[in-house]
Formats: sequence, C-alpha cells, structure tokens
Amino acid sequence: MYSSLPPPLFANLWLGNQYRHTGWFGIVFVLTMVAFVLMNIRRAKTGRNLYIRRIAGLNAIDEAIGRATEMGKPVLMVPGLSANLNAIVMQALNIFAHVTRIAAKFSNPILVCCNDAAIFTVAQEVIRDVYQEQGIPESFDPDSVRFISDRQFAFAAGVSGIILREQTAATFFLGEFFAESLIFAETANSIGAIQIASSTQITQTPFFIAACDYVLIGDEFYAASAYLTRQPILVGSLVGQDWSKLLVIVSIMVGIGLNSFQRINTKYDKTWKDGQEVDAPEHTRKASETFTYILLNPQTNANDADIPAIKLRPEDKRPELPLNERVTKTDAEAPK
Amino acid sequence: MSTKPRSEMSLGEKMQSVPKPILYLVLVLLTSLPLFKELNVPNKPNEASEDFYATVMAVPEGSTILIQSDWTGSTRGESGGEFESLMRILMRRKIKFAVYAAGDPQAPQVVKDSISRVNDERKLSGQPGYKQWDDWISLGNLPNAEAANQAIANNVQTAFPGRKAIPSTGGSPQDVFDSPVLKGHTKLSDFPLLVVVTASNTATIAIERYAGKVKMAQMVTGVMGPETLNYYPKQVVGLVVGLKGVYDIETLMEGGINTADPHTIKDDNGKFQGKSVEGFPGELNKGKATRYYPTLHFAFALLIIAVLIGNIGMFLAKKEAGK
Amino acid sequence: MNFFLDIPPATFWNNPSGSNALMIRLALALLIGIAAIFVLLKAPTNYRRPIVGVVTFLSGAFYVMLYLWPVAISRNKGIDAPRNPVEGVAFWLDDAVPVVANFTSIVTAFLLGLGVYSLLRVHGRKVMRKETDWVFSVVLLSSMVLMVFAGYGDWYSRLDPIKAPALELRENWGPINYLRDVLFEGMLQQMDAAMFSLIAFYILSAAYRAFRVRTIEATILLAAAFIVMFSFMGSVEAAWGHMVNPSGNIDNFSNNFTLTEVAKWIRGSIQKPAIRGIDFGVGIGALAMGLRLWLSLDRTGGKS
Repeated sequence: MYSSLPPPLFANLWLGNQYRHTGWFGIVFVLTMVAFVLMNIRRAKTGRNLYIRRIAGLNAIDEAIGRATEMGKPVLMVPGLSANLNAIVMQALNIFAHVTRIAAKFSNPILVCCNDAAIFTVAQEVIRDVYQEQGIPESFDPDSVRFISDRQFAFAAGVSGIILREQTAATFFLGEFFAESLIFAETANSIGAIQIASSTQITQTPFFIAACDYVLIGDEFYAASAYLTRQPILVGSLVGQDWSKLLVIVSIMVGIGLNSFQRINTKYDKTWKDGQEVDAPEHTRKASETFTYILLNPQTNANDADIPAIKLRPEDKRPELPLNERVTKTDAEAPK
Repeated sequence: MSTKPRSEMSLGEKMQSVPKPILYLVLVLLTSLPLFKELNVPNKPNEASEDFYATVMAVPEGSTILIQSDWTGSTRGESGGEFESLMRILMRRKIKFAVYAAGDPQAPQVVKDSISRVNDERKLSGQPGYKQWDDWISLGNLPNAEAANQAIANNVQTAFPGRKAIPSTGGSPQDVFDSPVLKGHTKLSDFPLLVVVTASNTATIAIERYAGKVKMAQMVTGVMGPETLNYYPKQVVGLVVGLKGVYDIETLMEGGINTADPHTIKDDNGKFQGKSVEGFPGELNKGKATRYYPTLHFAFALLIIAVLIGNIGMFLAKKEAGK
Repeated sequence: MNFFLDIPPATFWNNPSGSNALMIRLALALLIGIAAIFVLLKAPTNYRRPIVGVVTFLSGAFYVMLYLWPVAISRNKGIDAPRNPVEGVAFWLDDAVPVVANFTSIVTAFLLGLGVYSLLRVHGRKVMRKETDWVFSVVLLSSMVLMVFAGYGDWYSRLDPIKAPALELRENWGPINYLRDVLFEGMLQQMDAAMFSLIAFYILSAAYRAFRVRTIEATILLAAAFIVMFSFMGSVEAAWGHMVNPSGNIDNFSNNFTLTEVAKWIRGSIQKPAIRGIDFGVGIGALAMGLRLWLSLDRTGGKS
C-alpha cells in the first residue's frame, strides 16, 4: 500500500513526526479551512452582501427584552461555566453586549452572573463599554455584573436563587454549560421567564430543548455574533466555516465511495509482519488496507494491531550529546 | 396548559397538569424503596464495558498505569462507583497507579478519600491496603486541562516538575519520579494504560491530546456517554458509561467474561473460544452500582409512566375538546 | 524551604537551583517585567490595542508553531543532539511545552486571589452596610475562612516527615485533620451531591411537561427514548430478551430484536453520526473563533 501512495512532499531528514507518511494530510486540511475563513473575511470586507439564514433564537432576543421591559423585571445573562477565559466565553460576551445594548435603550435592568474572576473582570468592562457607547455611562450599575462562585453547584445554587428572588423575565444561558444546565432552565421555567439558551456541550442541548423556549444548537452559537452585528469580519468568517463544512461533507462522500469501491472491487497481495509490509496471498482488502484508512491514520495508534508502528529508519537516528553535556538530572544532582 | 381551577378540569387536562410536588413525592418514595430491601437485578454487560474490563485485566501485574481523575462528590453515584471498582481491580492485581487531576482542584482529595475507603474494605477482609509512595502516588491537580494534557503527552516527567512526596517510611520529601510507582516512567508510552475517570469534557480533551500515544480507556457519566461513544473502540479501547456501566463492571468482576465470537467453535468444556477473562469470585465485588441500580430502574419506570400519563392526557383533552 | 525547583534535564528554560545563571535570569525577568508594566501604563491609549494584539499573537503563535513545526522523532531528552537548525528549533519548542503549561497554573493562582478579593469586597460591603440578606454574606465569609484554615492546617500537618506517613490512617488523625474531613467530605461533597440530585427531579418534571407526541418526529423521538431507557433496565431487558430469543443464542436472527441490540443500533447508526455532525460544526466554529481572537480580528463588545 505504501508504494501506491504519492511520495512524501519533502523526503528530507528534518521531516517531523507529524509529517511522517501521510501525516501531512490532517495539517493541510486544517490549513485549507483556515484559508477559507480568511478568504471570506476578505470577501466580506469588500462589501459583498453574504447571506445568513434565519436563526429563531436570535430573532427572539428583541421579543424577550421587550417582555422584560413591560414586566419591569431584569434580564439575566449567564456566560457559562468555562474554567477560564476562552473563545466560547468571548463569544457569549459579544452576544450579551448586543443584549445589553437593547436593554440599555429601554432602561431595563440587567444581571450578568460569572463563575470566574477573570470572566467577571472582562464582563464588567464589556458591559460598562456598552453603556458608555450608548451615551448613558451613569446607568451602568457595577453590581449588575456579579462573580458568584467558581464551584459548579455553588454557582448553580447562587444563580437559581437570583432567578427566584429577582423574578427575572428573560434569561440568556449561552456558553459552556454542564450538569447545572437543567437546574437553570427549570428554575427559570418555573417562574415563566422567556429563555434563550445554547451549550457548546452537545450532551446538555437536550436538557435546554426540553425546558427553554429557544435553543441555539451546535455552531449556531458561533454564528450568533455575526447574525446580530453583521460585522463583515464575522459574516465572512461564518461563510468560511460553511465552506469548511462543505469540504468535510465532500471528503466524507469521496471517502465512502473510494472505500466501498476498494473493499468490494480490488484485491490486495500484501500484509504486515513485524512492522514490515510483506507478500501475502491475494485477498479482499480489510478496512485498514484501504487508501482512506492509511491517509487518515498515518502512524499507527497505540491500539491498532493491524498496522504496527512505523519503525525508525537508520537515517532517523540522531547523534548523541558528548558525555559531559548529557544531563538526565540537573547539574547539582548529577554524579560528579 | 389550562389555567382553570383543578375542580373544573376534564380528566385529560388533569392528567396533563399533575402538580410538581406530587411527582416529586412519588419520585422520593420510589427511589427510597431499594434502601430498605436489597434487590437483585439481572444484567447483561455491554461490549464497551467488557472491553474495558478485559483491557484492565490484561495489564501486567506489578506495572504502573496512569489515571486522570476529574470527578467530585456531585457525581459520586456514577464516577465514585466507577473509581472504586477500578481501585478494587487494580489492588487485587497488584497494579500500581499514578493519579492526577486536570479538571477540578477538589478531585485529588476526593481520590484520596475514595482510595482510603477501598483500603478500609481490604483491611476488613484481611488484605493489605495500598500505600502511598509504594503502591500509588498522587500527582495533584493541573489547572487548564488543554495545556496540562498537552504537556503530559509531550513528556510526563516534565509535566509534573518538582512534584515531591514523603516516602511511606518517612523522611524528607523526594521527587515522585524516584518512587517505586513512577521510577523509569518518563513518557506516556512507558505506561501500558491510561484511564480517564471524569464527569466533564476533560474526557474529549484527553482524547484529542492522547489518542495514538497511549492505550486509553475511559469511565464517564451517563450524560457524557453519547459524546464519548463516538471514540469507542478506536481512540478509547474500553468505555464504562454511567451507573449501568459500573453495574456491568461489578457483574464482570463477579463472573468474568466468557462470550462467544460469532462463528467460533466450542471447546471440550462447552465454552466458546471467544473472549475469556477471569473474575474475582468470592471477593467483595458489589459496590455502589449494585446498591443504586434498582433505584435507577424505579426512576426510569416513573419517568416512562409520567410521560405516558401526560400523552394520554393530551389525547383525552383533544378528544374532549373535539366533542 | 527550597523555593526553586529542579526540573531535569536542564534546558534553555531552566537552570539548576541556587546557581548564578538562575539568579541572573530571575533578576533579568523581574526587571523586564517591571519595565513592561511601566511602559504599558505610560503608553498612549491608541497604542494599547496594537500592544495587546502583538502579545496575543505571540502567545498563540507558540501553539501554532508546535502544531506546524516538524516535531522531533523519538527524542531522548538530555541525550540526543539536534541534527540541524530545524530540529534545534523543534527541541526548543518541545522543552518549552511544560513551561508554557505552567504559565496557566501561575495565572490561575493569581485568578484565585482575584476571586477571593472579589468575594471579600462584595460580601464584606454587604455586611458592613447591613444590606438585604447580609446574614448570608456572614455565613459565606466565615465558611470560606474556616475552610481555608482547616485546609491549610491539614496540609501543614502532612509536611512533617516523621508523622506524615502515619496520617494516612484515620486513627492517627488530629483535630485539624478531622475538621478538614468534616468540612470537605462531610459537608462540601454531600452538598455537591445534593445539588446534583436536584437534577433528577427536574428531569422528571421537564420530561413530563415537554415530551408530547404532537408530530411524527416527536413520536419517533419518544419511541427511541423508551427503547434506550428500557435497555438500561436489566429486568425489562432480560424479560424481553427471553421472550424474543428464548435460547439466548446470539447467532439467531431474533437476537437482533433484543433491546440491547436495538439500542446499540440506535446509538451506532443514528446517535453517533448526528453527534459527529454537530461536533464537526462546533469544532470548525471554535477554529474560526480561535483564529479571529489570535489575529485580533474580533472586536469584543461586538459593535454593530
């Protein structure tokens, strides 16, 4: 099978572990997706009008805040339970900035509950900036952004308590949620709040769907900021993501076709023994002997008995350091 | 849902609006029943649990495995049972282990308490307990699972720089990599197995960084099961999911595995020549899952009945409205 | 106490404890850090965004380099030498991985302090001004102090090189060890478990309220849910299996209709592809989001 694959692009000594055999494929695939995103950001910046389909949950934001304003009750926002400040939290804060902008216009009180001190600091700045941008910095209440606790269920208890005491009319649960998702959703449901939710943890999505009014599933969460703000960078990035998904779909279809054809129609006369490819009686190909398998599994993983680990070639070995430079302990502990 | 007073509601509307306190009371009563009477429930272990058990039982005696344990008291029903079953197997087979956490700072202490409980069990049955330093070692907590797992995949020794522990015989703290547990283990490939026991997404973070570098098995909660099943059996060779998974392990510890591969022949003893792994008959194998599994039954049954009542009520209400 | 830990083997990123090279590097790092803070404070406002952008880019560039740069094959640290400059850079990156990972530990430690300060500020103010529910703030603050005291006390007692091994056994515990156990295992873990068990009640009420067979899709969803739930119930599974495949022979065609086989098919053929599809989308979304943050293309606050 090796011989039928295209030769490595760079047959040099400095070829790294991740480029051995067909290991370059995964990296090229990722770089292609990166190129799609950057290309479409450039396209969007030239003023092209790129279409995004309707997302029901995001269209309901205005309705939710309007309802809260009518009832004179606050709007609650929770950016998830991320362990640290990451891309998901930043995305959630972008959406909350949009929600706060609308709430500020109607002078509706807001509450943001954070589970991490770093997230709390950034959230406070983001929300303060929104009020300043709207020209009403005096309306910003520093206590509206709260750090509750970094412990999962202490946070859940704290937020549930706030929902019940403040009788929030609209709640936004967007970000990384885990087991506490249903606690939030049911508590808010019990007081009749309108809920818009999304969890990047797929396993929590069914709980949100059962209890919330609108749910953003999967990468609709990442599309949200582009949808709401229509910034060219965000819209372009979203289109680039869609191109990447199309690439994945096409790869899967091509892979299915190729794999099926090879396994049904072609014979193979090699096998593996002691890490070497050796002659074998002609047989129908196993899954591990197809082109797509080898392309996607460049070096055996520790569990795969079908293709043994690619052994070091003589040219892969490197020189050893001189004895006096060699260290396995620090100099202070090395034998004198 | 109807806003009429309950006395004016039709049967269908009443069935659709059973008050929450009644539902919760019934749940409390039903799930409390197994506390008073031990119930034996038949069980057929699934393939993923069997593969997990077979993988752990295939680890050579006296070797060291690496365990990532990220669970805390909140998931002690599932994760606690999983971890204790794993401890029983490892201790009976004299397999050493090094345990670290990458998700929760509470996890290392929870692990110590759990090991202490299993040790107490062993002492009651006259077996020696596991000693820290000689038989197991705690490597503490590494915050930020992504960076921690990346560092461990790169080199285990440099991922835990300067970690020291007091030997079991006392004395000044020494580097954990000088202990009998970790001596000579610097890379992931030095460990025959890595087990991840978790209730959170550290399961998938571990798969992203460790797959292909070490043989990995996982024990996750029921909620994480669907997500982690995607990686079985390639990236994750064995998978225990939720309370059912723990019950599978306890069943296998009792009776072992003797399953037939399709189209294999029976040997002279009438046993199929498929997968065959011994159990630990005569020892204490029943743990949390055996106690909690009947509770799961009752909870599921109530859930199904509640859903059926709601739907029957909906159809009746539609029929009555149509009249 | 030796504050400076030895990390064998010695690399670009470390030096032996107590050595002059280590002291010089620490002093240099401190000077550079103070100078950087001074420069940042004095920098004009319009320079701050580019500075943040550069720092973000350099920080992210490390992991991008780690991903793209050829990784050294089967290197024996401290023994092997690089063959060429490319491999030299690879060695340097490889040595930097644990150091960079430790940066997060250090930042997390600072954030812990920030979290404690925040709690003290908010709840301390509530107590001083006797605002609404100030009594709960007293409970929170006193619990925090007690847990810190007990935790540190327990940890300190285990530093004694002679008494530490004996403390592995409960009978050798002192009052501080028992206090830590009561607070952590006896209270915190139980309260965590109690909060988690609330979910059982919420699942029941949510399922009862939400699972209505109004459409064909809802019917299929409900049927699949019932099959999977029944397959987890050993008694039901055994009874059904006995009815459908009395001999228990797995080669029988009727074995395909046992609950475990049907549930396995639902999980393998329907659930797995669906989750994988969503996972692809979420993964690509995270890639795009990470790229925008790394290149500082995103403006936090999402202006329209």
